[in-house]
Amino acid sequence: MKRVGVGALLIAAPLALALLGPLFVPEEATRHAPFVPGGLLGTDFVGRDTWHQVLAGGRTVVLVALLATAASYLVGVPYGVLAATARPRLVDEVLMRPLDLLLAVPSLLVLILVAAITGPGLPVLVAVVALVNFPDVARVARAAALEVAGRPALEAMRMQGESWWRTSVVYTGRSVLRTLAADLGVRLTGALYLVASASFLGVGVPPDAADWAVMVDRNRGGLFLQPWAVVVPAVLIVCLSVGVNLVFDRALRQVRT
Amino acid sequence: MSLAAYAWRRLALGLVQVLAVVTGVFLLVQALPGDAAVALAGDNPDPGRIERIRAAMGLDRPAPERFAEWLAGLARLDLGESLVSGRPVAEFLLDGVGPTAVLAVLTLVLLLPISVLVGVLAALREGSALDRVLTSVSVGLHAIPEFALAVVLIAVFGVQLGWLPPTAVGVDLLAEPAALVLPLLVLLARPICSISRLVRAGMVDALASDYVRHARRLGIGERRVRLAHALPNALAPAVQQVARTADWLLGGVIVVEAVFVIPGLGTTLVDAVAGRDLPVVQGLAVVFAVTTVVVNLLADLVAFRLSPRAEVAA
Repeated sequence: MKRVGVGALLIAAPLALALLGPLFVPEEATRHAPFVPGGLLGTDFVGRDTWHQVLAGGRTVVLVALLATAASYLVGVPYGVLAATARPRLVDEVLMRPLDLLLAVPSLLVLILVAAITGPGLPVLVAVVALVNFPDVARVARAAALEVAGRPALEAMRMQGESWWRTSVVYTGRSVLRTLAADLGVRLTGALYLVASASFLGVGVPPDAADWAVMVDRNRGGLFLQPWAVVVPAVLIVCLSVGVNLVFDRALRQVRT
Repeated sequence: MSLAAYAWRRLALGLVQVLAVVTGVFLLVQALPGDAAVALAGDNPDPGRIERIRAAMGLDRPAPERFAEWLAGLARLDLGESLVSGRPVAEFLLDGVGPTAVLAVLTLVLLLPISVLVGVLAALREGSALDRVLTSVSVGLHAIPEFALAVVLIAVFGVQLGWLPPTAVGVDLLAEPAALVLPLLVLLARPICSISRLVRAGMVDALASDYVRHARRLGIGERRVRLAHALPNALAPAVQQVARTADWLLGGVIVVEAVFVIPGLGTTLVDAVAGRDLPVVQGLAVVFAVTTVVVNLLADLVAFRLSPRAEVAA
């Protein structure tokens, strides 16, 4: 009971800031000297009000992580289920072997290369994070679907001449949902981690973007002068990741017991 | 399948993996907008100059030809020369390997005993307050991106309290251990959580297993049952995760190197991509792919030794 309290508390502040913060940012931003006190948290590396940047900067982190997770599931689940239920077993090999090869590529190497090819842009970030997560999702979906595919119920359905749609999609798809839901928390925190790390390295976001991870990177130079501009966004990211993890872990336990 | 046959099969598969990665990276680098010639020609270049640099570097030849030549060099362990500075790629790699290896080895040396100890402690007191606290902390800590943790630690210990140097700029890592404390803490945070949780789960399972019950019935001392019978089996699942961690550490921890300004392999990679220095990127990809294959192979062999009945994935 206690843990859900801690997790929810940790999530509440960053999530509220991320979703509602952009509404409270004034249209007309005045610029001051960089790294001077003033306002709630002083100014950042180009003299913008740090508090306004904090308000505006959470949305990208949260949205990109959510979208990327959704995208990796949209592609990965059908891919894995198809590999597990395809009648010629060769299809399984052809679909899954390339994913083994992908394992040997460091995910940040892919991120950096793809971002250098396509240039900055949030869709690129979403696509790359989804691509990095996709093999894991596909593998989990395939394992779950393989277990379902061996069940007598499915054998019976096939012998009754049920269509591929009913056996593979309706029955198998529904049966693997539970396993996939349990896996969701891991994927979401993984995506959050990758998105934040990528933004920090300047992949896929403009260098002056209002984004917590970018703020941490760009304001590091002023750590001695104006530590709040670095520490506040960093702490918000820490709280968000820890909170999401604790809440999902708790939810997972409740599902199991 | 005997262990040796299994190892050979895995090595062959590893070779294919390395080739596939190298080909993929070559294609990706080909797709980068602009090449080394554009990067070298500077701002506002005239097209004639770019063409001349390109011809001098051999970049005007078709890509398959260059790739075949590079592969032939690789077979002779010749990684080619950097397009930007003309130095051999092997030199670049050697420069970067030093700091990366120091960080990786120290992290692993600290990581293994700590995470095994934490995992075993939690498992022996399963359900106790200690177990619950350790589990909650490790679940929570596991999700934190390194840069956020690093910046908070730097702000507190490097700037506010002034106990430790905030970055490792221009520091010989081995001569000044104080500069290593914060990077090591950051590198340890996530792996300790994931590995100790695996050790805990494995130990809980092992302690409840038939063979442990049998060993107890035979009157073998509790300490020996735990350390000699339960622990090795409990470690087997964690070995894979240790391998992934070692792989991650040896691949140059780009983020941690960037925060603490450590000139390791990760920094080399970021610079090489920025300079469109194809041979260096290729060389790094080879190194990363080979490490991944070797580390995972070692892990599977160790897991096989620790718990022979466990199936090794083909």
